[in-house]
Amino acid sequence: MLPLFGYTLVSGVLVSLGLFGALARRNTLSILIAIELIFNAANINLVAFNRYLHPGQPAGQAFAIFVIALAAAEAVVGLALVLTVYRQFKTVLSEDLNLLKG
Amino acid sequence: MIAKLVFAFLAVLVLVPAGLAVTVKNIFHSALWLVLSLTGVAGLFALLGADFLFVAQILVYTGGITVLLLFVVLLSGSPKDWIVRQVNGQWAWGLALSAIFVGLLATLFKQIPEPAELTPAAPTSAPLGLMLVRDMLLPFEAVSLVLLAALVGAIHFSKRNS
Repeated sequence: MLPLFGYTLVSGVLVSLGLFGALARRNTLSILIAIELIFNAANINLVAFNRYLHPGQPAGQAFAIFVIALAAAEAVVGLALVLTVYRQFKTVLSEDLNLLKG
Repeated sequence: MIAKLVFAFLAVLVLVPAGLAVTVKNIFHSALWLVLSLTGVAGLFALLGADFLFVAQILVYTGGITVLLLFVVLLSGSPKDWIVRQVNGQWAWGLALSAIFVGLLATLFKQIPEPAELTPAAPTSAPLGLMLVRDMLLPFEAVSLVLLAALVGAIHFSKRNS
């Protein structure tokens, strides 16, 4: 039997990689990619805990479906915003988008 | 034994492309590594007996979101963006914070007691569908509304001269 710790460790490393990407990357699209990694780490944990601690009722998997749906909505709106920002400012680098900075 | 090998393979398939996706310079390559990582996550779902999520992950993530991402990568940004430095000034702090975070998470996850025995995995699509339309009907409808709003919002934002 596979230990639950293996799945949680994979998801922990994945969420940290996503955190690093969201904090350190300059490109807005890279930040969106990192956020997708964080969503997936959360999904792995939801499904693993569902399988190991509450087998028989797929509530964790239902939550994961909601997370996937909301991630799709987030990606669509985020990518549309990036596209609009690129058309306006001709850049996608986050430090150049300082219109509100005094 | 075979399950352990499969798990190790999938863990490498998830983590190595994910690490490359947040470190490579070329944003197009980064999106392609993301596809591989998300496919590995789908494999983990299959190993956990979540058959519907396995299909949904491949359909929505590797089939939908990343293709959309690749379109936007090609539509926005000039080729010179692919050769500039990709990390900002605080990347060392970000790396340190992520390292501390993964250490804390690992110690936290160590505390969770391992379950004694695992029942064999059964298909979960049918109970999942029943749960979605019985217990979770209101969130289900709310998510459909959110998706509609996201669709309208995306069209509004990406319209020219808006």
